[in-house]
Amino acid sequence: MSAPPPDAIVLKNVVKSFRKTSRRREITTLKTELVRLLTFQKRKTEPSQLIQALTGVDLRIPRGKTVGIVGRNGSGKSTLLKLVTGIYAPTSGTIEVHGRISALLELGAGFHPDFTGRENILINGIILGMSRAQVKARVEEIVEYAELGDFIDEPVRTYSSGMFMRLAFAVATHVDPEILIIDEILSVGDEHFARKSQAKMNEFRHGGKTILLVTHALGTVESWCDLAAWIDGGKVRMFGDPRQVVAEYRRAIAAAEAEAEKTGHSALSAPGLALPQTNGALSATTGARLTALRLLDAGGVAAATFSADAGLTVALDFEVPAKSTVRFNVDAMSADGRLVFSLAHDAAELEGRGSVKLQVPRLGLADGVYEVLATATRAGEPPAPPHRVALTVVGSAGAGVLKPVHEWAVERAGP
Amino acid sequence: MIRNLRELYQYRALLFALTGRELKARYRASVLGFLWTFLNPTLNMVVYVLVFGVIMSSSVERYPFFLFCGLIPWVFFSSSILGGTTSVSDRKDLLTKVRFPAQVLPATVVGTNLINFLLSLPLLFLLGALYGDWPSWHLVFLVPVLLVQTFFTLAVTYLLSSLNVAFRDLQHIVANLVQMLFFLTPVLWNLETIPGIHRFGLDLSAEQARAAMLYLNPMAAVMSAWRDIFYKHAAPAWQPLAAVAAVSLVLMWISSGVFERRREEFAELV
Repeated sequence: MSAPPPDAIVLKNVVKSFRKTSRRREITTLKTELVRLLTFQKRKTEPSQLIQALTGVDLRIPRGKTVGIVGRNGSGKSTLLKLVTGIYAPTSGTIEVHGRISALLELGAGFHPDFTGRENILINGIILGMSRAQVKARVEEIVEYAELGDFIDEPVRTYSSGMFMRLAFAVATHVDPEILIIDEILSVGDEHFARKSQAKMNEFRHGGKTILLVTHALGTVESWCDLAAWIDGGKVRMFGDPRQVVAEYRRAIAAAEAEAEKTGHSALSAPGLALPQTNGALSATTGARLTALRLLDAGGVAAATFSADAGLTVALDFEVPAKSTVRFNVDAMSADGRLVFSLAHDAAELEGRGSVKLQVPRLGLADGVYEVLATATRAGEPPAPPHRVALTVVGSAGAGVLKPVHEWAVERAGP
Repeated sequence: MIRNLRELYQYRALLFALTGRELKARYRASVLGFLWTFLNPTLNMVVYVLVFGVIMSSSVERYPFFLFCGLIPWVFFSSSILGGTTSVSDRKDLLTKVRFPAQVLPATVVGTNLINFLLSLPLLFLLGALYGDWPSWHLVFLVPVLLVQTFFTLAVTYLLSSLNVAFRDLQHIVANLVQMLFFLTPVLWNLETIPGIHRFGLDLSAEQARAAMLYLNPMAAVMSAWRDIFYKHAAPAWQPLAAVAAVSLVLMWISSGVFERRREEFAELV
């Protein structure tokens, strides 16, 4: 036997397109269909009637790694999973899968409501690719894991949704796959079972299984995945370190939201549309350039941690080769990718090196980690990649984003 | 075709499990449960006997038994075709959520009805016994006839189920065609007593009309064979059956090709 290939899943230039509407909406009549069948003609599909869910995906999933896939709704994530699982066939391109796959796309596929939990374990296990003997050998283990007590011998239709999910999850994870495909189902059941399923996932991870995971819980991707892929507009927009991918994804969302706020429309309003480019990918050839970004406290000392009531100074060092008007922009972004504020200042007739300071007398943000982004742009040119620095706010004792200037007053009306 | 059948064999565990489940599920929620396997064909027969045996007073001897010999295999055929046509298009839950071998689905329907057919055979023998008619050694022909009918049914089911995914009108068309075929097939009436046809520009003697019927309608050949075995206690004529077997083989080749070609779009269209 040769050594297993280093990559569990290899996708090469995978394209997947769907017909735009169901066939019923098209003008399909018995006559046209018969004529088409009898004359052996291929169904005519104009390119405009096709939706390109994936437009050329290249991706290598290394063996034994946990890979998170992020992206907007409609960006093609689920289509990608269905292609890898083999539910869909690619329109063009190739998909290689090395290893036994178990897909947790929807739990409880093929469960029959009139059958008991135990009977459904058997049939579901076989549907998921186990032999009858294999399932029989694992039934007790699965029953124990699902913790359904006497309900295991009751029809599944009497189950609560949580119980249903627990049973389905138990079967799906006891198939003993080499590659696990997961679509947004890491939290199953109550607090206790969610922890248990999380533990099961960790077991898979440490057991050298390859995990491909689609989720909108970006925190999970950052903390739990070895690699992350960002699918945007049917393509892999970024692949690599999860923190970087997630950060870039958040920035793009924030940029799109900011755009929506300014212009009233953006890529966010149409499902599946690619998000606007952030500046990270562009090379800086602008006339104005930032050379440093520093956060200073009230005493003018560089700091990273601030109290909510403290003052903040953002200092930008710039370099402008030719005399021009330069726009300075300072944004703050919360940890979940929301734009907290965006401040801009135009400075006319700048030339050479210098420094510009933005004074915020009172920070007024709630506890948390923020990111400050700064750019300097010459009028009429695209913005350069922003400088970034983390800003931690502590001691405001309160949730939310803001800690406004405030005062409490209690008036007693007497006994 | 070979690939299709080989894959079907490969997934036999799934096929058996699903067939078993269908059989159990069919009557699970009902009070009489498994008894319906016998009650359904019996009541069905009572209706036809009432209309054709009593009201129209058929001249066939032991008409209820005669009718039942044809009705049971016919129900196997028609239920398979009707259930099989929607077998793929109805299983969105399986096809879009897990990697699932679609060719198991039509086979499951045919398998379920095959078992049901076998289970109702004792009822047929019981009815025969009431007339003092015991099964003879000709029962050995049950195996080849059943094989031919099952293979033919499977071939038709594959074709219909794959086409119905994209073209849902088919299930309604099929329902009507099956009804029509029921009356064109010697189930209620006796093939041996049909008159010659001397109209529509045709001039066929009774003998010729019978042969035309046998060779043009595969189910007519199969039904006559069943009658021969159960009712007449004779060896069925092999020529019409061989013709059906040949037709089935060609049909299976076409069906498998169509099924195979369309399978990729099942998950998107169901």
